[in-house]
Amino acid sequence: MPVEPSHVSDTSIKKPMRIDGRRLRSERTKQLIIEAYLALADAFSPRVPTAAEIAEKAGYSVRSVFERFPDILTLQIAAVDYAMAQVTALAPPNELEGDRAMRIRSQVRARAQVCERWLPLWRSLIVNQGNSEELKDRIRGSRERVMGRLEAMYQPELETVAEGERRQLVIALEALTDVESWARMREFFDLSFDEACLAWIQAIDRLLPRSATDP
Amino acid sequence: MSASAVFKPSRIDGRRLRSERTKQLIIEAYLALLRERPTTPVPTAAEIAQRAGYSVRSVFERFPDLHTLRVAAADYGLAHAAALAPARDVDADRPTRIKSQVETRAGTCERGVALWRALTFNVDEDDALKARLRFARTRTMERLEIMYQPELSTLAETDRRNMLITLEALTDMESWARMREMHGLSFAEACAVWIRAIDRMLPPTPPQA
Repeated sequence: MPVEPSHVSDTSIKKPMRIDGRRLRSERTKQLIIEAYLALADAFSPRVPTAAEIAEKAGYSVRSVFERFPDILTLQIAAVDYAMAQVTALAPPNELEGDRAMRIRSQVRARAQVCERWLPLWRSLIVNQGNSEELKDRIRGSRERVMGRLEAMYQPELETVAEGERRQLVIALEALTDVESWARMREFFDLSFDEACLAWIQAIDRLLPRSATDP
Repeated sequence: MSASAVFKPSRIDGRRLRSERTKQLIIEAYLALLRERPTTPVPTAAEIAQRAGYSVRSVFERFPDLHTLRVAAADYGLAHAAALAPARDVDADRPTRIKSQVETRAGTCERGVALWRALTFNVDEDDALKARLRFARTRTMERLEIMYQPELSTLAETDRRNMLITLEALTDMESWARMREMHGLSFAEACAVWIRAIDRMLPPTPPQA
């Protein structure tokens, strides 16, 4: 519906658009600062990049960084939220409906890809969590999501055992497929991606009980 | 030989002993602070000095920087872990060996996780720490090999290596810490998780064992 010109001034028409444009630019700046932080945290892991390094990488002044994020911890939290959303969005799909061997292979490869991609940032997060309850909550949330995924993937096998034993198995599976467990296979034991996947596949296959449909 | 020449060596030994004792107390103060605050594993020199009952200058006379102190603490921790966790029940039946290995490892993790975090959190800054972490992991793997030799002997070489790698991952310090801190398990409950998982993962024990 057209707006009646006699009741609305030119400035009041343009003002909302100008505010939206500013907000969009500000959001874009925040986004670029977060991306700069993530790139540097990945490169410097586990050291946290300085405000000056982040500003330079993002192409803004240090003042611009602190206008959007009052301190580095607030930026870290925003970056972790962004990275975790990316992990979820970019995670390869799991084969929930396949047979046991297919599900194990699918879960292991998906987890391995996440570990491979996010290891430096995860390490930086773990090392720099300090006393921040916000960062601790995010670490806990991430682990709980991994456990939820494990429970969904291995539901046919896990439902064959009592609740207490099921919980024990999920805890053991999470420990086994931890990011640092992957890192050790790659860095300490010098395994290739496929060799490391095989180690996990063998272990999970031994750990899981047989389901009713298994041959 | 003059009287002073006779007495001099014992005076030097006394000084050296006192100095070693001071070093020891500084390391113990550092470890105590780590245990009290496991998520902030970088006590300051002032905190360490106050805890040990010495001046900051005394700390820096023995350890030129906090890295040197951390490395000394790592050596102390490794020696302690070895002394307090000898291999037991090596020739026992499977359930006894699993229980023994798990309880020994759990004790090591319970005592050592704070120092372990201090080392792993600072490892990129110092190759000396990396070497000690590697040594600790190698020792854990060797212990697993000794304890589960009958079962491991039934596997082909690659499968045996993979089994050891995954057993080490399962029984990692941080895996223990998560069971205790995140999942709120008691010592015995956390041991039960490891015992069940290891029993599932290991191949059947050969009859001759």
